[in-house]
Amino acid sequence: MGRPDKREPGQIRALHCALGQLNRADGSAQFSAGNTSALCGVYGPVDVKVYDEKLDRALVEVKFRPDIGVSATKDRWVESAVRSTFEREVLAHLHPRTLVQINIQLREGDGSVDATVINATTLALVDAGIPLKSMIAAASCVVLADDTTAVDPTQEEVDAARSTHTFAFSSSSSTRPQSGPVYVDSRGDFTMDEYNRCHDLCAMAAERVLAFMRTVVEGKVTKEALISTA
Amino acid sequence: MAESGQQVACAMQTFERLHPTEFQRRFLAQNTRHDGREFMQFRPVQVVKGAISTAQGSATVRVGNTTVVCGIKAEVCEPDVKRPTEGYLATNVELSPMCSAQFRAGAPSEEAQVASEHVHRLAGQMFDLTSLCIESGRAVWSLAADIVCIKHDGGILDAAVVALVAALEDLRLPKAELDLGTGMVSADRTMATHVGVGKRLFPATFALVDDAYVVADADDSEERMATASLLVVHDDRGRLVNVWKRGGGMLSSETIARCVQRARERMTEIAQTL
Repeated sequence: MGRPDKREPGQIRALHCALGQLNRADGSAQFSAGNTSALCGVYGPVDVKVYDEKLDRALVEVKFRPDIGVSATKDRWVESAVRSTFEREVLAHLHPRTLVQINIQLREGDGSVDATVINATTLALVDAGIPLKSMIAAASCVVLADDTTAVDPTQEEVDAARSTHTFAFSSSSSTRPQSGPVYVDSRGDFTMDEYNRCHDLCAMAAERVLAFMRTVVEGKVTKEALISTA
Repeated sequence: MAESGQQVACAMQTFERLHPTEFQRRFLAQNTRHDGREFMQFRPVQVVKGAISTAQGSATVRVGNTTVVCGIKAEVCEPDVKRPTEGYLATNVELSPMCSAQFRAGAPSEEAQVASEHVHRLAGQMFDLTSLCIESGRAVWSLAADIVCIKHDGGILDAAVVALVAALEDLRLPKAELDLGTGMVSADRTMATHVGVGKRLFPATFALVDDAYVVADADDSEERMATASLLVVHDDRGRLVNVWKRGGGMLSSETIARCVQRARERMTEIAQTL
């Protein structure tokens, strides 16, 4: 049984990214994997409310808005997931008493939303020039009822899946493979074997996402170098 | 002698207040924890079912010092048009200033909202909503599970999930019938029956403290210095339901596998008390 969109089990959807589309934000990225698309704008380092001020580091704040309807409790969950993933990846101690605000707008959700949101955030942070320890790339994977796995699932596949897995890896973990994933969210009905299988599949997919991110950032740097020499 | 012992205890309390991180580190460096537990040792669980007589189902759960109460209230309402045979189960985790000084009165904190949402997602996987059907397309039960934290000392999700499972097991719904003529639902309280949980969930939380030590079931002071946390939820068949790792601290895949193994052992500990 093939996948609805005729992809191979380990094949991710076409990636697309546009940096700096929001001209009022310090950095922004629109990241899409197939139909799933998220727009992320980053402000930072900017002023922080005295109440939230951290004396030794910048505060990282995440706001997430869904594609349909108003922001609700389930969106706080996404915000918390993104914040916990990036809080220690941002070199916050370089900008004490400031705020790094990450605003995410989901444009369309067609499966693998959490992973796409994380990928968009990484690129927006890079575009904003926020110092990062490493880049983070995320990927999703589902185990279907017939025990087959599919990477980067569409919503149709997520709805039919027995379990859904989202993993995020940092770019430094390719040099230190023992370090493990930065973020894991596996849910459904699964065994440890299936978990490990999905971990490996997502690690490979994340590697490809990371390579894509590198070309995007390289493109940006070359363009900026051209402008500055002209 | 007694006096000097008192002085030591007093000095220790002062040290803990002034340098909480250093205080914890001294213990962890000695391969122990400040409450005397081993790294992979959980706190004992106590479950009391049916503590609230006005709720249709309730349970009080203690995990060490953490105490939560879960009460389930049932109401009759119309089902969703798209899902005519499914009832509703709404979960809400309340972390009020009563349970810990870190929470403020007013709108629920982010931690409370995230906990509510996570418990809700887990509940969706364990509870069969079609068991709440009274008359397809006309009337279903709507359950509101309020999980109130009385004392917050770490591991709130563990306690909340166990409390929800216990309260659902305690839940007795009156026998309800829809009068097709009047469209009214009449419930007979004397004929209340258990609904039954689809499957029991057994949670276990691990924390990476100070980027170096993996500890099971961290309490509040350990959670404050945790750089990563891992929630592992099993069901009663020993299959995994949820693995959720948050925070920038690095947990290797071997460590995660070890935690999952330990969570399986925790399963039997919780199952005995339920």
